[in-house]
Amino acid sequence: MNCEEATKLMDAYLDGELDPITSQAIERHLRECHKCDQAYKAHALLIRSIGDATPYYKAPAGLRERIQSSLREEVAERSTRSVSRDIPSLLESKHSEWRAVLFGTQWSWLALAAAIVLAAIIAFNLAPRLQRPGADQLLATQLIASHVRSLMANHLTDVASSDQHTVKPWLDTKLDFAPPVVDLGSDGFPLLGGRLDYLENRPVAALVYQRRKHFVNLFVWPKESGAAGITNTVTRQGYQLVHWVDSDFNYWAVSDVSEADLQAFKKVFEDRTARH
Amino acid sequence: MAAPLKAEYVSESEDFDLSAKIVKFVALKKPNEEDAAQEQQLASFEALMLPHLDAAQNLAKWLLRNEQDAQDVVQEAYLRAFKSFSGFHGSNGRAWLLTIVRNTSYTLMKKNRAVDLTTTFDEERHATDHESTSPAALLEQIEDAELVRESMDQLAVEFREILVLRHLEGLSYKEIADIAQIPPGTVMSRLARARGKLKECLAARIGKEK
Repeated sequence: MNCEEATKLMDAYLDGELDPITSQAIERHLRECHKCDQAYKAHALLIRSIGDATPYYKAPAGLRERIQSSLREEVAERSTRSVSRDIPSLLESKHSEWRAVLFGTQWSWLALAAAIVLAAIIAFNLAPRLQRPGADQLLATQLIASHVRSLMANHLTDVASSDQHTVKPWLDTKLDFAPPVVDLGSDGFPLLGGRLDYLENRPVAALVYQRRKHFVNLFVWPKESGAAGITNTVTRQGYQLVHWVDSDFNYWAVSDVSEADLQAFKKVFEDRTARH
Repeated sequence: MAAPLKAEYVSESEDFDLSAKIVKFVALKKPNEEDAAQEQQLASFEALMLPHLDAAQNLAKWLLRNEQDAQDVVQEAYLRAFKSFSGFHGSNGRAWLLTIVRNTSYTLMKKNRAVDLTTTFDEERHATDHESTSPAALLEQIEDAELVRESMDQLAVEFREILVLRHLEGLSYKEIADIAQIPPGTVMSRLARARGKLKECLAARIGKEK
C-alpha cells in the first residue's frame, strides 16, 4: 500500500470499517511510513476530540408527552373511522323506519363514546398484563429499569470518579464482595464512577461507563453457580443487554449503544480485568 | 366491564325494535376488540421507539438548526413511524426511526425555502490562510463546544447529517447508508470529506479569532 491509498482509507480504518485484510495492509504501511503514522495519529486524536466536543441535543421536557398524546389521538381517530364505517351499513337495512334510524344514529354516538371509554379502561387495566414478562425476562426488565432510572433521576453515580482506585475501595466497603473495576478510557469507554443498586434481592455494584454521548451501566454481582464463559445478548425496548459470567462474577452490561459497541465493551472489559 | 353498561342501555330503551338492539350490540362490541389490539400495538411501539427520542431530537436539530422545527419534525416523525409500524420487522429500531426523522426533516427543508438545501461550504470565503493554524492549536480550541457547533452548522446538510450519525450516534457505515439512502461505499468518502471540511472550517474560525 502506498501513502495515497493509505490516506484515502484512513477514515474507514479509524472507524473500524475495513475488512481484516485491508486493515492489516494499512497497519503494515503505518508501521513502515512515519509520515503517514503521524498523520493518522493526529487525525484520530482530532476526530475523537471533535466528536467529544460536539453538542448532543436532548429532547426537551414535554416533547415525549406531546408525542404520546398525539399517538393516542391517532388511535382514537382510527377507532372513530372504523365505527363510522360500520354503522351506516348496519343502519341502511332499517331505513324504512326513520324512527329506528334516528334512534340508532343517536345511539351510535353514545355507543362510540362508551366504546372509547371502555376501550380506554380495558386497555389501561390490560396493558401492564400484556407486557408481563416471563420469569427469565424479569431480570432483563429490572436491569433496563435500573439503567433508565440511573439516567433519569440524576443519580448516575454514588461515587463519581474516572479513577478505578477511588471507585473500587468505595464499592468494596459498601458491598460484601469486591467487584473488578477498570477504567477503559483508552479504549473509548471512560469510567464515570460507581453506584450501589439492588437486583435479584441483593445489593449489586453498578459501574458506569461512557461511550460517546451514551452511557453503559455494568451491573456486577457474585455468581452463584454455573459455568463461566456464557455470553447472552438481549435486545429489549431498544436497549442492548449483554450478559456474561467469569470465574467469580455475573456481569450485565446495559446501554442504548449499538450491539457491536456493547460487544466491544465486553471484550475490552474482559481483556483488562484478565490482566489485573 | 362491558356487560353492565350494555344492559343499562337496553333496559332504558323500551320503545324500539329488536333489530335496533342488535345494531347497538354490534356497535358496542366491535370497537372494543379493535381498540384493545390498537392499544397493544401502541404500547409496543412506545416501548421500542420512545427510548430513541433523544437520538431523534438530536438528528432533527442538527439537520434543521432550529429548535421549534426540530420538535415539530420529531413529533411528526413519531406519528408517521406509528402509522407504518406494522411494516417494521427489524431489530434496529433506532436506525428505522432515524430514517423517518431524516426524511421528515428533508420534507420540511424542501418546503421551507428559507433553509437552503443546496447550501454548501463556501470554499472561497473560507479559503483563508488556515494552513498557518497548527494541528496542536486546532486541538486546543476544539474543547470549545460552541466553536465546534458553529463550525458544524456552517457545513452542508449532508455533511452535518453524516457527522452526527457517526460521531454522536456511533452508527456503522451500513446503518448510515440505510438512513442517508446512499451506497455504503459513498459513506466512507462522504465522511472523510465532511471531516476535512469541518477541520477547514474550525481552522478558519480559529484563524479569524486570532
